[in-house]
Amino acid sequence: MYQYNQVDQQLVNERVAQFRDQTRRFLAGDLPEDEFLALRLMNGLYVQRHAPMLRVAVPYGMMSAQQMRSLANVARTWDKGYGHFTTRTNIQFNWPKLEDVPDILEELAKVQMHAIQTSGNCIRNTTTDQFAGIIADEIEDPRPYCEIIRQWSSLHPEFAFLPRKFKIAISGGPTDRAASQVHDIGLHIVKNDAGEVGFEVLVGGGLGRTPVIGKQIRPFLQKKDLLSYLEAIIRVYNLKGRRDNKYKARIKILVNALGIDTFRELVEAEWEQIKDSDLVLTDAEISRVQGFFKPFEYEADAANDTSLDAKLAEDASFAAWFRQNTVEHKVSGYRAVIVSLKAHLVPKGDISHQQMDLVADLSDKYSFGEIRSTHNQNLVLADVRNADLYELWEILSEANLARANVGTLTDMTVCPGGDFCALANAKTLGVADQIDAKFEDLDYLYDLGDIKLNMSGCINACSHHHVGHIGILGVDKKGEDWYQITLGGSDGEDASLGKVIGKAVASDEVADTLEKVLAVFVEQRIEDERFIDCVRRIGLSPFKEKVYAPAH
Amino acid sequence: MPLLINREPVENDSWTLVDEDTLQQSGDIIVPLALYQENQDSLSNREGHLAVQVSGDDNIDTVLENPNQFPLIAVFFPAVRDGRGFSIARLLKRAGFTGQIRATGDVSHDRLDFMTRCGFDALEIPADRYSEEVHNAFSEFSVRYQGAEDDSRPVYRQ
Ligand code: HEM
Ligand code: SF4
Repeated sequence: MYQYNQVDQQLVNERVAQFRDQTRRFLAGDLPEDEFLALRLMNGLYVQRHAPMLRVAVPYGMMSAQQMRSLANVARTWDKGYGHFTTRTNIQFNWPKLEDVPDILEELAKVQMHAIQTSGNCIRNTTTDQFAGIIADEIEDPRPYCEIIRQWSSLHPEFAFLPRKFKIAISGGPTDRAASQVHDIGLHIVKNDAGEVGFEVLVGGGLGRTPVIGKQIRPFLQKKDLLSYLEAIIRVYNLKGRRDNKYKARIKILVNALGIDTFRELVEAEWEQIKDSDLVLTDAEISRVQGFFKPFEYEADAANDTSLDAKLAEDASFAAWFRQNTVEHKVSGYRAVIVSLKAHLVPKGDISHQQMDLVADLSDKYSFGEIRSTHNQNLVLADVRNADLYELWEILSEANLARANVGTLTDMTVCPGGDFCALANAKTLGVADQIDAKFEDLDYLYDLGDIKLNMSGCINACSHHHVGHIGILGVDKKGEDWYQITLGGSDGEDASLGKVIGKAVASDEVADTLEKVLAVFVEQRIEDERFIDCVRRIGLSPFKEKVYAPAH
Repeated sequence: MPLLINREPVENDSWTLVDEDTLQQSGDIIVPLALYQENQDSLSNREGHLAVQVSGDDNIDTVLENPNQFPLIAVFFPAVRDGRGFSIARLLKRAGFTGQIRATGDVSHDRLDFMTRCGFDALEIPADRYSEEVHNAFSEFSVRYQGAEDDSRPVYRQ
């Protein structure tokens, strides 16, 4: 993975010192509250229900073992011993003290980590496929471009005060595991007719209160033009995006108001002015950064292992975990392992400091010392030898990190909701527990197959409920928590927005309602049809009828 | 109001921002763009220098066509969170403007360095936001990734 050079390190160190000074001036009364708010947000610091919340960047989801240990140390020393992985592959700490934040950041800087632009109206962490670099269907590893964008966007002097936050995601191939179509800019690595590799560019996607799927602004962009084109898009947005109403300030609103064709004309006209400037990426720079993401030195005889098959045959629990929680690696003899942060009755995405230390150790021992976070709030050890899987599984199981539910209903993506988030309309954690409790039977979940359940505690959609196959949105009705259910969303290459099935259900009825939805699916399903395909085929009516049928 | 030009405090500034009522005063004046456009004729043969102030809501196409008709262009920041002025300054530079670009309005410590990098050479800081510490703003960072108006070369071309 990328290693800081002297410039990278200096920049992060100086940012820590700057933030320390900003905090000092705020506490001394020299910096007005609203101004400090903008500044602290730009450094990942929210003020929440109980305490400040610090969001630390995990650039495109990559962490070293050493970085994970440092996160564990932060959780232990300054927080209540745990952290929470988010849908943007970052990690949040819910309990730090404002005065401690500069020290936390200083500690993180020692391991090349920071909280720069993890919040605020600026360019956020670029996210990508959690299997980047190791999956057979990718055209090219997207991570070098994520890093190039990280550097270009960090402390960009022109784009620190955009109308609203700005999120970029890159997918490395035709299978979209980065939810790129619901980002402000989505980049798809593609090959053109001439066989050159470049980017398809989408713009204007986003969720929140107005969910929109991104639109294509350019079918093919040369690699060298990546930064100049991004700069053109964001300059147009900075100048023309709405600033009178924060709910209408995202780029999706601008693109819809102007129409994609007019927006494209503006961007192309701006780009014409800068496409031959110093922003052009040099081959040397691209290969320098690519050099950090070279394939590991895999063992040539890893594929000769026979122990895995033997273990799979003799241990059904292991076999289930293998099927659900591991993924084919492009190098035979290796698998990518998904470390489940969706344990039974544990807040989704939460991880304790002991677990962090353990995952760090396991990555050192089994996976070249690297860990990835996913936009579904799990972790990945991407390069594990077949022969090590059984042992790894045993250790993960012991630590409650091997629930064999990846891709199933209980692999839920859930925001912190009303228990932590000051913006929430409803709690989410209790409902997640209710769903966990109701759908404990793994065999039933396996029969149901791939289902993506996303639950947000309010319309801000931090857990992408619109693009869950099943989406749950917490709403407030006269001070009570109610839940609106949507079906048919997807964040993949077939992205779609879910549709609401009817009026919200009470908090104690959510799991029962899901049971009815799933009963319709089981009844109507053709062979091994996926849930989402079934919903698309039969429409919402059968589900509505069942869920809202008058009680007998 | 404290004024920094090329990062140094300046005592005697000849410019005054005018409005509808004070438009006719003598000396060097900065006229908000809309007011300037309404009174272009009467302003053309006055004594003293004439500058305009633009803001994000203005259509600045005509200014960009011939920016050097003005010795100074002020860019107004209506609020901390309004970052349009950064892009406006860069557009002025790109249009070949060689006069002074002055940041006015909500201008304070934590944006000064970004402003300088985007091409502002004059920074007008409200008195209640000014202190000696403000001068540290330019030395907080010794490295940067992107090219901008101060140096167009990104880190990979340095
Ligand atoms: C607890 C403190 C949090 C606060 C105050 C917060 C606030 C917000 C707000 C206001 C928005 C809507 C922005 C807009 O539409 O312009 C938003 C969107 C989002 N948040 Fe959070 N959030 C929090 C936690 C999280 C967590 C825990 C996650 C991940 C699980 C997350 C991931 C996201 C994502 C992915 C979006 C983007 C949806 C979109 O594209 O519009 N946030 N957040
Ligand atoms: S969706 Fe709403 S409740 Fe959940 S974290 Fe985001 S802002 Fe908070």
